Amino acid sequence: MTFDKQIKRRDLLKASAMLGIAGAAGSTAPSLLMAEPAKPKEIIIRAWGGPWVEALKAGVSDPFTAKTGIRVRHDLTEDNEIQPKVWAAVAQKRTPPIHINWDTTTNATKSALRGVCEDLSDLPNLKGTTDLAKPVGVDGYPIVNTYGYVYVLAYRPSAFPSGPPESYHDLLDPKFKGRLAFYNDGIGFHFPAQVAGGGKLDGIPSNMQPCWDFVSKIKAQEPLLGEDPDFVTWFQNGEIDAACTISTNALGAKRNGVDIAWTIPKEGAKFDTDGLWIPRGHSEGDLYWSKEYINQALSKESQQIWLDGLGLPGVIPGLQPPTGLAGDPSYPTKPADFDRLIRISGKIQVENESEWFSKFKAIMQG
Amino acid sequence: MNQPVSQKLFFWTLVVISIITLSAPTLVVLGASLTSGNIIVFPPDGLSLKWYEALVEKQELQDAFIRSIWVAIICVFISLPTGTLAGIALTKYRLRKGALIQTYLLLPFTIPLIGSGIGLMLVFGEVGVLGSLWPVGVATAVINLPFMIWAVSSSATGLDPDLELAAQNCGAGPVQTFFYVTLPSVMPGIITGSLLMFILSLNEFLVSLLLVDARIVTLPVQVYNSIRSIITPDLAAVSVVFIAVAMLAIAVLDKLVGLEIFLKSK
Amino acid sequence: MRRNLSSYPLMWRLMDMLEAIFKKIWPKGGGFWSPYLMLSPAILLVGLLVLGLGYIGDASLRTLDTSTFLFSEEWSLTNYERALIEPFIRSVIWRSILGATIVTMITLLLAFPYTYVMVRTRSAFLRKFLLITLFLPFFIGQVVRAYGWLIILGKQGIVNDILGLVGIEPLRMLFNYPSVLFGLIQYMFPFAVLMLAPALTAIPEEIEAAAESLGASWVETMLHVIFPMAKSGMIGAGLVVLTLSLTDFAMPAILGGGTQDFVANAIYDQFFRTSDQGFGSSLAVLLIVIGSFLVWVVFVLVGAGTLAMGAKDK
Repeated sequence: MTFDKQIKRRDLLKASAMLGIAGAAGSTAPSLLMAEPAKPKEIIIRAWGGPWVEALKAGVSDPFTAKTGIRVRHDLTEDNEIQPKVWAAVAQKRTPPIHINWDTTTNATKSALRGVCEDLSDLPNLKGTTDLAKPVGVDGYPIVNTYGYVYVLAYRPSAFPSGPPESYHDLLDPKFKGRLAFYNDGIGFHFPAQVAGGGKLDGIPSNMQPCWDFVSKIKAQEPLLGEDPDFVTWFQNGEIDAACTISTNALGAKRNGVDIAWTIPKEGAKFDTDGLWIPRGHSEGDLYWSKEYINQALSKESQQIWLDGLGLPGVIPGLQPPTGLAGDPSYPTKPADFDRLIRISGKIQVENESEWFSKFKAIMQG
Repeated sequence: MNQPVSQKLFFWTLVVISIITLSAPTLVVLGASLTSGNIIVFPPDGLSLKWYEALVEKQELQDAFIRSIWVAIICVFISLPTGTLAGIALTKYRLRKGALIQTYLLLPFTIPLIGSGIGLMLVFGEVGVLGSLWPVGVATAVINLPFMIWAVSSSATGLDPDLELAAQNCGAGPVQTFFYVTLPSVMPGIITGSLLMFILSLNEFLVSLLLVDARIVTLPVQVYNSIRSIITPDLAAVSVVFIAVAMLAIAVLDKLVGLEIFLKSK
Repeated sequence: MRRNLSSYPLMWRLMDMLEAIFKKIWPKGGGFWSPYLMLSPAILLVGLLVLGLGYIGDASLRTLDTSTFLFSEEWSLTNYERALIEPFIRSVIWRSILGATIVTMITLLLAFPYTYVMVRTRSAFLRKFLLITLFLPFFIGQVVRAYGWLIILGKQGIVNDILGLVGIEPLRMLFNYPSVLFGLIQYMFPFAVLMLAPALTAIPEEIEAAAESLGASWVETMLHVIFPMAKSGMIGAGLVVLTLSLTDFAMPAILGGGTQDFVANAIYDQFFRTSDQGFGSSLAVLLIVIGSFLVWVVFVLVGAGTLAMGAKDK
């Protein structure tokens, strides 16, 4: 993690330099209203731990505090574990435990459908964003997407001497028996599996049989199932040769010295987004300043630093790719880069997720 | 002890197996915390104390630790009298519907922790007390209460009704009998139970996770949350510091009352 | 001695006061009610959980509408039907019950000798050593502990390294059912010992000596003298291990490699991953019913546990 620390320090310098410029120019940091409501002492942002929160802190939280004087506290509860807490708070008309949720767009969409999100469509910086910022399948902006990511096929180069795996079918080789890994619920793998099984993307969600056929073939390879930290651990301890995982995990493992590379097989890869949203139930002042925070997160200077840390493509045009990631399949920027990426609307995903997950589990645990 | 050789052999084989299985992961984690690399490996990748230095800088971990201690104290404060009375009552008297009451009192263990956590979150949320530390203490007391009850009642085999009668014959009232006769005879159970409650409360994460917010986060929640992204050696270091503190506490306890008290009745 | 002399009357006065208060508040002829009064704080405390269960029970009767992520207004048994129909859930329930039973038996088998040696040894050092060995693993959370096992038993772990020296190919020892059970046993072991210890402590050593002087072998002494006298402790330890491993979540999640889920893992998935608290709640209710039933059976079969009060009733 020393690597991240170095990054952080450097980025901080960069951030404060940029703030200086922004302050001097004045107009580059637009505010929501002329009259500012009362400032809360602090606001609480839910974030993922480790390199994730370090990047957010350097890119968004620290500049926000420097500008407004409001302290930012990071709540490191997992996104899916904070969800019942937030929902219960809104249902019981209590103040929610967090001001802003940094969440997967899929999870956030559930909250949006349920009606627990504040509307964010009046954020000034939304004007400068790409289409990616707009959540698909919900009205308006209950969520603002802040970057995209790809579920890549990460692999151990030494296990693939003749070059990266070109297809998910390559993983059916008997030598990979017991040496593959997927997410517990199969997330990220369903869509490429649909293609690998000979199906069409249009068949989602009505005809997913090709997907389940291919998952059954993979099951015969006795894969391991886990969560983000498991993949890194397993690669590091030589337990697995390939895994379908978010590129950030692979990048994190590589930065920590694990021998790992990643690719997008010909079947394609799931592309998804993460976003920020504000739960209902905060006072007017808290809401205003929480919106200011998200507005800050959508500024070019914040995006640049935050996403350098994550190694992911943002929602503001013209960001500099992090070192080594320009042209990488996990860092799509041009329309052509998106050709092999599969993006399914958040609404379809949340409506069918439960069924997909239990189907996947039923096959894997059977 | 003049035990036969076969007994010694049989017992010691199982004891040695137990010692190894109990200690192996602890020792590995201890060793791994000394690594100079960035990942948990054993044997460690070069020796250094850098992960301990990293801990010293983290004020929030220290705050979380203090909060955890408070939670554990509240937990013992509530569960000790509650569990002791229940444990004695269950042992001393024949109860109607005894099996039913026992089954009820084991609910904290038969309800999965997620269920308990969500349920307590809604109950405490409804009465508006979430956001302070004491509900967390109460919650850890509830979910571990059977330990206290069972520790007390399993030491109550040493409870002697004749002694109580004798005390009462000599003019002792029920309160005196309770404090001078009943309580001392279950003391090993009370102490074992309280220590267990303290430790479990100190370490509890799943239910606490649902009851704390970022302002009052406790140590296990903090650790659990930071594990979720990537497991780095500072977590091994946290565990070792935890162990060190525990050892210190045990040493102090040993000096003050003697560890023997755990295992000696009366 | 002087200080003591002067403090005695104070203590007496305090006691007299307490006795007086006690007489006032304790119901007349409280003989029948006193155990229930003594139990009432515990019953109230557990009552908090029962209140919480009210919410869980209510949620279990409502189905999730995934187009609004709200729960149905009216009650139905849909979630329970789904839980009983899905083969996946059935296999998970069966796996949990079988696992908890095996874990309980092996843990008791291992914990008994450990406790016995710890309680009976003459060496204070050995006793402390055994006691501390018992307590230390508590301070390494389940997650980090499971990580330790990965380092020890993994494909490139210490054990495989050693096996490699004698020419044995690396074995996969983790991510299967036995490794989950092993992890659970290791996790439950200290609990079992701590529950057994007070019971064994309370058995006078002379009784064993007496049994042996009458010609009983050590096995007979154990089976016919110590086991029956330690019954309360055995039941306590057994129930603790049974219920806790039945509802455990962390060991199957980490040592099972994602393919050995217990019921608690399925509940976790419903609550936290698919946000279907209704279905999750129905699974929780089923697990509570199964667990409580097992507990109740144990109480009925072995004569309501500690209530028999050992020799005193005879």
